[in-house]
Amino acid sequence: MAAFNEFQEEEFSTTVNGKTVLRILAQLKPHWRWVAGFLLCITLVSWLDSYFTFLNKEIIDRGVANKDVQAIIDIMIPYGALLLIQAVGVFSFIWLTGVLGERVRYDLRKKMFGHLQNLSLSYYNRTPVGWIFSRVNSDSDRVAELVTWGMLDTTWGIMNIITAGYFMIIINWRLALIVLAIIPVLVIVASWFQKKIIKEYREVRKVNSKITGAYSENITGVRVVKSLGREEANLREFSGLTGEMYRAGYRAAWLSALFLPVVQLITAVALSSIIWYGGVEAQFGGLTIGGIQAFIFYMTFMLFPIQEMARVYAELQHAVASGERIFSMVDAVPTVVDIPGAKDPGTLKGDIVFRDVHFAYDDAPEEAVLDNFNLEVKQGETIALVGPTGGGKSTIVNLICRFFEPVRGSISIGGTDYKQYTLHGIQSRIGVVLQTPHLFSGSIRENIRYGRLDATDEEIEVAAKLAGAHKFIEDLDGGYKAEVGEGGNLLSVGQKQLISLARAVLADPEIFVMDEATSSVDTLTESLIQQGMEVMMRDRTSFIIAHRLSTIKRADRILVIEKGEIAESGSHAELLRTGGHYFNLYTQQFREELTREQDPFQAQPKVAPAAAASAS
Amino acid sequence: MQTGSEFIDLKYVVSQSRWRGLWRLLQGQYAAYGAAALSLGISALCRSSVYLLLGYFIDNVLGTANFSRQVPLVALCFIGLAIVQGIFTYLSGSLSGRTGERVAQRLRNYLYDHLQRLSFAFHDKTKTGELIQKVTSDVDAVRKFIAQEAVEFGRIIMLFFMNFGVLIYINPRLAFLSIICVPFTVGMSYWFFGRISKAYEAFQNQDGVLSSVLQENLSGVRVVKAFARQEYEINKFEKENFKKYGLGRKLLLWHSFFWPMSDIITGAQMLFGFYMGAVMTMSGEITIGNYIAYVSVLIWLIWPIRNLGRVIVQMSQGLVSFDRVMGIIKEEREPIEVGDYVPAERPKGEIVFEDVSFEYEAGQPIIKNVSFRAEAGQIVALLGSTGSGKTSLVSLLPRFYDYTSGRILLDGVDLKRYPRKYLRDNIGIVLQEPFLFSRTIRENIRYSVGRDVSDADIENASKAAAVHDVIREFPGQYDTLVGEKGVTLSGGQKQRVTLARTLLKNPSILILDDATSSVDTETEAEIRGALKRLMEDHTTFIIAHRIQSVMMADMILVFDEGRIVQQGTHEELLKQEGIYRKVFDIQTMIEEEVQREVASVSGN
Repeated sequence: MAAFNEFQEEEFSTTVNGKTVLRILAQLKPHWRWVAGFLLCITLVSWLDSYFTFLNKEIIDRGVANKDVQAIIDIMIPYGALLLIQAVGVFSFIWLTGVLGERVRYDLRKKMFGHLQNLSLSYYNRTPVGWIFSRVNSDSDRVAELVTWGMLDTTWGIMNIITAGYFMIIINWRLALIVLAIIPVLVIVASWFQKKIIKEYREVRKVNSKITGAYSENITGVRVVKSLGREEANLREFSGLTGEMYRAGYRAAWLSALFLPVVQLITAVALSSIIWYGGVEAQFGGLTIGGIQAFIFYMTFMLFPIQEMARVYAELQHAVASGERIFSMVDAVPTVVDIPGAKDPGTLKGDIVFRDVHFAYDDAPEEAVLDNFNLEVKQGETIALVGPTGGGKSTIVNLICRFFEPVRGSISIGGTDYKQYTLHGIQSRIGVVLQTPHLFSGSIRENIRYGRLDATDEEIEVAAKLAGAHKFIEDLDGGYKAEVGEGGNLLSVGQKQLISLARAVLADPEIFVMDEATSSVDTLTESLIQQGMEVMMRDRTSFIIAHRLSTIKRADRILVIEKGEIAESGSHAELLRTGGHYFNLYTQQFREELTREQDPFQAQPKVAPAAAASAS
Repeated sequence: MQTGSEFIDLKYVVSQSRWRGLWRLLQGQYAAYGAAALSLGISALCRSSVYLLLGYFIDNVLGTANFSRQVPLVALCFIGLAIVQGIFTYLSGSLSGRTGERVAQRLRNYLYDHLQRLSFAFHDKTKTGELIQKVTSDVDAVRKFIAQEAVEFGRIIMLFFMNFGVLIYINPRLAFLSIICVPFTVGMSYWFFGRISKAYEAFQNQDGVLSSVLQENLSGVRVVKAFARQEYEINKFEKENFKKYGLGRKLLLWHSFFWPMSDIITGAQMLFGFYMGAVMTMSGEITIGNYIAYVSVLIWLIWPIRNLGRVIVQMSQGLVSFDRVMGIIKEEREPIEVGDYVPAERPKGEIVFEDVSFEYEAGQPIIKNVSFRAEAGQIVALLGSTGSGKTSLVSLLPRFYDYTSGRILLDGVDLKRYPRKYLRDNIGIVLQEPFLFSRTIRENIRYSVGRDVSDADIENASKAAAVHDVIREFPGQYDTLVGEKGVTLSGGQKQRVTLARTLLKNPSILILDDATSSVDTETEAEIRGALKRLMEDHTTFIIAHRIQSVMMADMILVFDEGRIVQQGTHEELLKQEGIYRKVFDIQTMIEEEVQREVASVSGN
């Protein structure tokens, strides 16, 4: 359960980890020129903003007050030119910051995806896909946002305050000090509000995901709801949730609504002090009319940088938490890796030997799945693994593929411990067909080609023919070009298995591993799959997690795996005579299969069961 | 707790005119929303007044004899205006926020209820993902439209007119000279934002593509590893990732052009305004105080206009969401309370089918002219291949669908006269696909009755469904959570929990739609025994594949292609030539076959 909680943890800590911040900033290192570029641009833009206000003052004091048209024109010409320059600055900072943001996102995703490919299956076993998914998507977004727009806004805010302060001091330093004294107050108020608001929004999101969950369950379970007449009780429960949502949403709304007026009120106090004190100064010539106007402007617009900086600060905590999660993933070490000096085996032909293999999955290291497991398989032998779910069949197969490695003991292929070989060397020589075959969206041809990337279209067809998939593919709209849909869900399970068989045939592996489908497949497809398996098993060392009698019977050796041990081992006839586990499994399976085959409701007459049984 | 206002029937919101629809959606919130709009106006007025006050201060206070007397007054006025403005800004934000939240809450409640009251036919044809999208994101977009976008639009418009009014008050000619840029700015931002939203859409679509590549890679991680295709996958991802980067750049290019361009237009307008104002001040047309006021007001007039394009585009997206939500609301509900015959007591359970036909789609009958009679308390079994119409037939009884022709009578009264609610309260149906909710097992079983039930009752139901012992072995027993966050039940266990759920309801008529298909033979026999005791005075329908599951029935109906081809008890049907005997023969034969197979091996 601990692992589960860890993944649910989406909240961020309230303290900001400096190390993570540095590491986030390090993402910018390769692009430091861009960073320097946008920082320069934003500095220029905000300096010009403050300078324009100063120019407005000059227009008033030197032009309007003196009734000097020439002075106004003299000010306005550079003013206009600077406006154009500022426009260029705006263009540049939006472009530089935005593109850099996209670039950082791109880099992060690339890095994470690349790393994910190398992580061992044990990582995937203990990490929910959804968790990984949001690391790659939302967390990378948040980090990129922080190092680009966040940094830009902060710089803009700071520069704005500095330049405004600078001009205010030039105009009248005493008044400037009064105004600047109010900044810390604004900062404190703003960050207090932002924290509160963020907290409310987090609450809103939490309730929102509950609401989505409730909707989803109500829609998928609508038939049950209707048949049980639960509508009213459900609505009662649900309106509790929406009530919560209303309250949280409303709190967030009024806090946001309160924020601006409060800050404005503080500035108004400053404003009136300008009027009062500035008025007095003006009375004695210390401050011009234009000066008063400029002060009011600087004051009014100081609101925005502070608002922005408070927002960025609140975001910072969020982004750092995102960064932590990203780095925790990037730092995850693959458990199955090439040892130093590992070499390509050249061939995987040879006997496979499990010697005293001990294995436990790392989320439950106490529960050994295999303990002192020994097995010898001759080159070219076909092994059928049968037995109850959770007995250890899949583990054995996973170990052979080296998706996992034994905790103790060894597995050798052709007399050499397979850890001496490279992972790529092993896995590229083993063909695997999974129980629920996974296809990638794209055409059938692309999916088969996955087995060998340089295969020609002809080779693909040959492989499909060998696997027994050619006929149904030809019958599809578009043939080999037909799209399989996401995860292959436009095809039936049987068809998917045929294609994944063809994929394995094309790869021409030296060891063949198959997990047969348990779900029912129609008779024709079933026999085609059998035919494809036959091709694969010929002359190859094969391991089949078998669910079909015909497969089991065809094996050279049947292993009944129970509780991590080989409970029974031998040929079909031998085991059946023993009358043990296999006998029970077999007779039960036999009944079920025959029942499935003998559907009296189908129009055409069936092959007599006796004939069917003896044929295989 | 419920004030009732959250449960207003929103059907009437549906209107030919989208604006009228939106208006109706606000029902009950008019006062609040109106007050929000009014507050918006007042706060805009205060803002403009600040600058007029500034002008007054410069012209009439500064440098005059009554300076020292008036200056504190003016300063206080500034604070006073700020307070009033603050209050009304807050009011408008808070009131519109409340309106948005209220409307959203009402929509959510209504949609939730609406969805569970829409017909089976609606749910058959609608994709879950899309529906969820509509009821969550689109509702939120409507909320934003009301609470933020419409308010922002109103704010811009009010600021504009308020400030324009001030400008006219200062000098009408100057006022008109100051808004020359407005049509250009609005036009340009509208043009740009149309394109920006298109570029954004392309960017978002690519984001979707990238996500599905990632999703597929993650779910296919075994295949990737099995074929050692890491490089290939990285390249595939790289291609889409880079494409997204490119689309992002394109989107940014639009942004980078738009903002400086609008800066130039507004900058030029302001410079021009400053110049004209300065000239007028020097010629004495306006006072210097008015000039100061003018400069400030002008900035507050032009600045918001820049955002108008963005707001308009956002609003149009909000309206699209509104239309989508209305699309669901337009769907007709299933009237579960309607029916003129509501007996006070439970039905006895006598069911008669008279020449009943049914089709989901016109011209494709699923059930053809079915007639039979089930006495109260009888067990009726339906046997047939998948797709032969068995499930459709039992779906007619709780009126999940209404039959197309013929008549079904319950206790001698046409089924269509009973309210659906009455039927569903008294008919328990265990569906083929067991569905459990993400709650505890106890809550799942209790789900069928809307009241508290004693533990003993719950345990009795689960004992009858032969699942009590299984539940006892779970870490939290009856309080174990089901689903992602808790235990994963096997298909057979799920079926038995759903059976317990239905048994707890104690219905007069029980329908078991292949409800024990994933349960092993022994457990099934156990369940059957318990059911026999429990259901003595209940009419029971059983859909099954195995002869053992149907042979004890009082009447067996053999189905093929929507027709009853055979009818009778196990013994009667065995005597007849037909499908039933074939099924029986096959099963017997299989047993013999097993024996023979074993014998053949032993003989070696």
